[in-house]
Formats: sequence, structure tokens, C-alpha cells
Amino acid sequence: MKKNVLSLFFAVALAVSLAGCSGSSGSPSAAQGGGSTDKLIVNIWDNNQLKGLQEIADEWSAESGVKVQINVVDWDNYWTLLEAGASGGEMPDVFWMHSNTAQMYMENDLLLPLDDYIKNDSAIDLNNYYEGIVELYKRSDNGVQYALPKDHDTIALLYNKALFDKYGVEYPNDDWTWEDLRDAAAAITEAGKSESIYGYALNTTNNQDGWYNIVYDYGATIINDDHKGTTIGSDEGKAAMEMVRQLLEVATPQTTVAETGTDSLFKSGLTAMISQGSWMINSFYTAENASDYAWAMLPYADVNGNGQCDDGERYSAYNGLGWAASSETADPDAAYSLISYFCSEKGQKEQAELGVTMGGMKGVSESFANAFPGMDVSAFVRAEEEGELFFRPYTRNTTVWEDGIQQNAFLAAWQNPTDKVLMAKACDQAQQIIEEAIANE
Amino acid sequence: MFKKMTSAEKREAKWAYFFVAPTIIGLLILNFYPIIITIWQSFCKTGDFGRGNVFVGLANYQAVLTKTETWQSLWNTIKYALIEVPFGVVIALILAVLLNKKIAGRSIYRTIFFLPMVCAPAAVAMVWKWLYNTQFGLLNNIFHSSVSWISDPKIAWISIGIIGVWSIIGYNMVLFISGLQEIPGDYYEAASIDGATGLRQFLNITVPLLSPTTFFIVQTRIIGALTVFDLMFMVMDKSNVALPNVQSIVYLFYQYSFTNGNKGYGSTLVIVLLVFIMILTYFLQKLEKKIVYQN
Repeated sequence: MKKNVLSLFFAVALAVSLAGCSGSSGSPSAAQGGGSTDKLIVNIWDNNQLKGLQEIADEWSAESGVKVQINVVDWDNYWTLLEAGASGGEMPDVFWMHSNTAQMYMENDLLLPLDDYIKNDSAIDLNNYYEGIVELYKRSDNGVQYALPKDHDTIALLYNKALFDKYGVEYPNDDWTWEDLRDAAAAITEAGKSESIYGYALNTTNNQDGWYNIVYDYGATIINDDHKGTTIGSDEGKAAMEMVRQLLEVATPQTTVAETGTDSLFKSGLTAMISQGSWMINSFYTAENASDYAWAMLPYADVNGNGQCDDGERYSAYNGLGWAASSETADPDAAYSLISYFCSEKGQKEQAELGVTMGGMKGVSESFANAFPGMDVSAFVRAEEEGELFFRPYTRNTTVWEDGIQQNAFLAAWQNPTDKVLMAKACDQAQQIIEEAIANE
Repeated sequence: MFKKMTSAEKREAKWAYFFVAPTIIGLLILNFYPIIITIWQSFCKTGDFGRGNVFVGLANYQAVLTKTETWQSLWNTIKYALIEVPFGVVIALILAVLLNKKIAGRSIYRTIFFLPMVCAPAAVAMVWKWLYNTQFGLLNNIFHSSVSWISDPKIAWISIGIIGVWSIIGYNMVLFISGLQEIPGDYYEAASIDGATGLRQFLNITVPLLSPTTFFIVQTRIIGALTVFDLMFMVMDKSNVALPNVQSIVYLFYQYSFTNGNKGYGSTLVIVLLVFIMILTYFLQKLEKKIVYQN
């Protein structure tokens, strides 16, 4: 019997050992400053930016004599890896920060405080950057700056001219409302039925470049400005989600999108319109049929019904990544120097010229529109000149409610877009999920 | 415990401890320490990055056990095991018997069936994901169908189960072959002389004499299947409507612990799974005495 119990324990130990990764409670060593290194490890999550950033980093290496190795880890695993690294004291030297998690990392002193460096650095003046992004990477309780704005992004509508020509539908233009988009999408979906071509595709997990924008157009919010609540369950929120429902009705079914992804569907000519963020331009610019692709501003919501786009009726989400360094990096001076190089006017301009992204610094992004000869990407710049921007909704632990509303509120509703009541109910559930998540933060 | 030993025995025992030490130390650090931490965390509201844990008693257990999501995931996991274990064992047994005969190209076949075991699980999942794809998948192309293999909640769990069976057959088969080779040929000879057919021989000689191997495979595979994670994680997107009907309990654990950073809740989930596996293993051990052939 004793032997049995023991073997039972061993068998089960095997099963549970995978939980082991979560069990680290080590306190970080206080070692900071001092040392120097001949190589910095940099982590990013966007493969499209690797080439351009490496080019800028190599220039810095030529000046500083410190090599830079940039690793690309895809979005989902990036955060898992970074958190595991943070718990175990093995973070990369320099890496991207994002609004979803920035507060948490700052509050736990995992990032290198940059205030002293910025003060002594003539290349960096925080007034030159987008306020929302600078603000985001300031710790809320003591105002210390932990990351410098790397870039900012906006959202636009991408369409396939070939499909519009084929079915004789007029191209999207800047005067489109969401209803116009819906009608055009419906026409293409109807005409393309036999070939399973759809007019529009919306990946519901891509919220920032998708349905969030519609919510703000209709006057509701995902997260209020004070980060303490939401109005997704309000009448405006429900009106917006009703629009999303109508779009989904004529869009590629969610089962398809979940398997293939809107960008692949678009590139294979199976969908005529998708909305995309400016960070994705390169992927479409270098695609096989790039000459068929064109960009327009996101449609607006004619809430007051006067037939024109008024203030607050056209929104684009914007977000900005930050360059941050680990508080335990072996060589904080080199790490800051690299960050400063990326965020200096020279680095920012180069980033735009190379077509990596638009800058986090104001007024450096004109060259970005010219980085793609033959493709007019001015819609991204016009989105902020003619429309308004809202900062990507975030709270202290964004993923909790982001996943929560995806899995537990809206999933059924956008699988069954014909059900009007279901969507309204989902808005109420989403309201509740977000409020609960904020209360637990 | 050293008292009754002669000095030679003591010396031998010391060396024995010395030789098992690396394994024991590895187990202690890599398995037992994490288990204890996991149990501790399941009673805590965990802080960010493993700091500032606050003891909350059974609050996590209450939350985990009252959520339908937990029971749904446990049921999903059991459904997966119900496909993977029986089919994985039966198909592997048949293959093992066939490949234990002297046929041409035997080792080539053995290698082919064992190959899935050599591939990285993530790579296997990626390949199957594309095979199953509704628009561009090979399966739908061959059958001229448009089945949503992995996004139809009714069949997605079977599709995932099939990948599991496919991946594990080779491993089970190799274990069965080694078990088969331990059965003395005399029994079959004697049975042939007495006029027993091939099927009779299989049922009355092979199956009972192989039962210790079979039992070992069944037991380890049940535990393996109940801790499945990679298949669901790699094959199914977060927006997949079938996900709630397929996600395993370890998937849920990953979601809470690593994506949402709620390690206390995640730990509680695995402890619940641990208890479930312990109970199951206890009954399996009881069953072993009854059905497994002992010399």
C-alpha cells in the first residue's frame, strides 16, 4: 500500500510539474548601475519592423561599439515571456512597452527610471512627443518617466480595388458613414456568394483596429478617460454594437476569420475591405497584389443625422509603444543611450523614412507617407488631421477585461449576428465584466 | 535504518544515495518545490510578478468550483481523454501486433509510425491547423467539402482528439512491441498444435500476457491526456467559437496564470486537476489488481 501511495504521488507530480513555471517568488537583486556590456538584447513583437529597427540600431552600434541583438517574439508570447523574465530576473535589456501592461511594470520597479537621464540628454525633450503616449509611460503615483515614446499609430480602411471593379461597386471615400460601408459590403457579399467572396471582414479579437473605433464614433467609450469605468452598456454603446452586428451580418463569418485571419483573407482576394492599423502597412505594401490595394479613412457615424461629419463623429484609435529598459540591465547607460537614439529626432525621422512606423515625436511623420512609393497611405495622417484620436483603452490590467468581454460577453453575439437582442444583452454583460475587472485591480 | 546493516552494506548504501542524488535533487528543485509553491499560491491573492501575495484562504477554491467554466473545461478534458486513450491504445496495439511479425520493410513501417513522436508538438499542431482549415485546408480540398473542422463546436473536440491519437500512436506502439517480445513463443506454438486460430491466440494469449504493458500505457496516457494543452493552444484562435467547448483545464490555467496574471486562481485550477487525477489514479491502481494478469 505504501508503495502504491508513493507511486501515486510520483505519477501526479509529473502531471503538475508544468504548473511549476508559475512558482517563482524571488526578489530581484538590487544590483543597478555600474557595469558595462558589449551586447544589448532587445525584444520586440513585430516582425515587420525588425529590418528597419536593426538598421537604426546598427548605426548606434557603430557609434557606441555595443552590439544590438533584436529578437522578435510574437504578441501573445511576448508578454508571457516578459512576465516570466520579470519574475525570474531575466529580462531583455531594452524592450517595447504597451498600454495594456505599462502601469503594472512601472509600479513594480521593473523598468529603469529615465528621469535623470532625460534631464541630462539634450536630444530628448518630452514636450515634442504625443502627450497621451508620454503620459502613459509616467507612473501614476509619483510621475516618474519609465519609457520614451517610440511611435504612434492610427487606423484606416484598406480595400481591394480589383474586387470593387469586378462587382461594379464604388470605391470607399472620405464621406462614407458606417452605413455606406455596410451597404457596399452587402452588395459585394451578395454578388460574390458563389465564390465565397465577402465585402468586409472583421476580426473581433483585433479590437483597436476594429470595432473599438465604431464604439467611439457613436459617442460611447470602452474605458472612460479616468480609467475607472465604461459606457459600453449605454444607449450609445448599444447603438454602436448594433452597427457592428449589422456589419458582421454581411461580413465573412467569424468561424472563417478565426481560422484564417482577416489579412490572409484580404490578400487572397476573398474579402474586399478590412480595417488595419498603420503598423501593418508594410505587410500589404510588399504583398503580391499590392497595386490593387488602396487606403481610405475609417467611415464616420452620422449620429446627429445632418449628413456630414461633425466633431466627435469620426474617431481613430491611437496607441504608442514605448522604449523601456530593464531595471536590472547590466549596462543602464548603454541601454538608455540606445533608447535615446531611437527616440531622438534623427532616429524618429529615420524610423518614418524607412517606413517602420510613424513617429512618437510630433512632426516627423510626413516622410512616412512617402516611404511607400506607389501606395497612398495619407489616410493614416488625415485620420488625425480631419478626425479625432482616442487613446487605446487601457486600465492597470487590460487583458483581464479584454479577454473577458471577448470570451464571455460578445463571443456568442458575433457568431450569430442575426440576433439583435443577443448583441444588446452582450453590451450589458460587457459593462458588468469591465466594471468588475476594474474593481478587482 | 543503518543499524542492522553490515559495514559493507552501509558503504554500498552510501554509494547508492550518491548515485541517485542528481535525480532526487532535480526532482526536489524542479518538481516538488514548484508543487509546494503552487499549493501555497492557490490560497493567495497573488501580486504582480510573484510579489506581495496575500493569504485569502479558500476564496480561490470557492471561485474556481462555482464557475461553470471550470466544469466545462474539465468535461472538455475528459472528452479529449475519451478519444485519445482508447483509440490511441487500440490502434497502437493492432499496429504493434502486425509489425511484430516478420514482414518486409518492418523497420521502415515502425519508423514511419514513430515519426510523429519525434516532431515538435507545436509544429504538429501548426500542420494540422492548416489541414483542417475550412477555406484552404487539404482535407476539405480532397473531400470537396466545407466542414469547419476546428470551429464547429460539435466536431472541433473530435478533430483535436484525432491529432492527439495521431501523435501518440507511435509511442504506444513501441511500448507494445517491447511488451509483445517478452511473451515466449512457446505459448503460440502450443496453441497452434491445439488448433487455436490467430484470433483465439490473440485474445487468449496476447491480450492477457500483454495486460501489464497495456495497463501502464493506459494509466500514463490518461494522465497525459488530462494535462493536454498545446494542441488547443496552437490550433485554436482566441476568437474561435468552439474554444469554450474544447479548451482543456490546463488551457484555462494558462489563460489565468500567464495571460491574465492571476497566478492564485491559476494555481487553484491545477490543484483541482491534481486532486481529480489523484482520485482517478487511486481507482486505477485498485483496478490493476483485478484485471491485470500477474505471474
